[in-house]
Amino acid sequence: MRAYVVFCHPRRQSFTGAALDRVLVGLAAGGHEVRVTDLYAEAFVPELDAAALAAHHVDHRGHPERRPGIEPYVEHLAWCDALVLVHPTWWSAQPAMLKGFFDRVLVKGVAYDLPEGADRIRPRLRHIRRLVVVTSHGSPKYVNAVQGESGKRIVGRTLRGLCSWRCRTRWIALYNIDRAGDAKRTAFLDRVERRLQRL
Amino acid sequence: MRALVVLAHPNPESFNHAIAARVAATLRSLGHDVVVRDLYAEGFRAAMTAEEHEAYHGETPVVDPLVAEHIADLQRADTLIVVYPTWWSSMPAILKGWCERIMVPGVGFVFDARGRVRPGIKNIRRLIGVSTYGSPRWYVRLSADAGRRTVMRSMRLSTGWRTRSDWLAMYRMDARSAEDRDAFLAACEQRIRELAG
Repeated sequence: MRAYVVFCHPRRQSFTGAALDRVLVGLAAGGHEVRVTDLYAEAFVPELDAAALAAHHVDHRGHPERRPGIEPYVEHLAWCDALVLVHPTWWSAQPAMLKGFFDRVLVKGVAYDLPEGADRIRPRLRHIRRLVVVTSHGSPKYVNAVQGESGKRIVGRTLRGLCSWRCRTRWIALYNIDRAGDAKRTAFLDRVERRLQRL
Repeated sequence: MRALVVLAHPNPESFNHAIAARVAATLRSLGHDVVVRDLYAEGFRAAMTAEEHEAYHGETPVVDPLVAEHIADLQRADTLIVVYPTWWSSMPAILKGWCERIMVPGVGFVFDARGRVRPGIKNIRRLIGVSTYGSPRWYVRLSADAGRRTVMRSMRLSTGWRTRSDWLAMYRMDARSAEDRDAFLAACEQRIRELAG
């Protein structure tokens, strides 16, 4: 498959960075084509500004061409048929940097259309057949459940709804990482590699 | 009452700005203290930096003076009001980043003697979320409204569950008339009067 990997962690040498390494090893072993975006390394700007928001409101077309800086990401999204997000879970959801990637790149005219007069959106990511999230949580699973699992819902419902009807979603998560020992971490990384190989 | 209003919209002419202004004016007319923080206007950075991440679990997790200012406002307040447009089912990155960078250990939460996580901003007794949505209500419900969950659940882990919370929402923003918008502003004012009067 053609896998587009979006990595989001301020420190490449973090545990999430180690997970990215294993994602790439797994994908290579599975013979998949890979493109990678490291949002922090590329100094991605996560704040959607007033000019880009104005482009959204011009008319029903969304005008992605009036949103400077997102072209390469739009191209990667069009190229891939598997989207892999690698990030820590903060506040039960994607870090602000990755949320900003959604806000700025997955816009009208790219991720969906809103035809004139229509009151519901038409997906534009139907070519994506796999959604994979590799993430870790500082707190135990029950804390995330109490918090409402916002990140899982954004991917599992909102993003999934724009992808292929038969898109499969894989949520590969290590909970309670603050107290997880080396054995658990190693087992998790092995699982990440296995899962991505069999994408 | 000492209220902190956190606003996350890039356009100063926006309806979200009108909401925040109406909320603040209402509270002031009732004699309450109000601080409004317009995150875009003050150039707040959404993304936690590598330096901040490194400092997160250390003795001094706050490295940015602007973050320190926000923390001081938050700790002085007894009411927190967030106003934002819902994008991608959740809050704009700038507000998500505000949560991540402000509510660091020792502020958003503290550890008790047994190492358990406990609320850090129990001074916040009332939490109000106001959001505008492009989508109709049924779609917001179906997509699970992650932003509302972040405010009503994640934030209340920091304030304590006894903090009263309210949610004010305007759906299908793009299809609304000027009268609808005025009516929503009036409804916000009415709710604030009931809560703070």
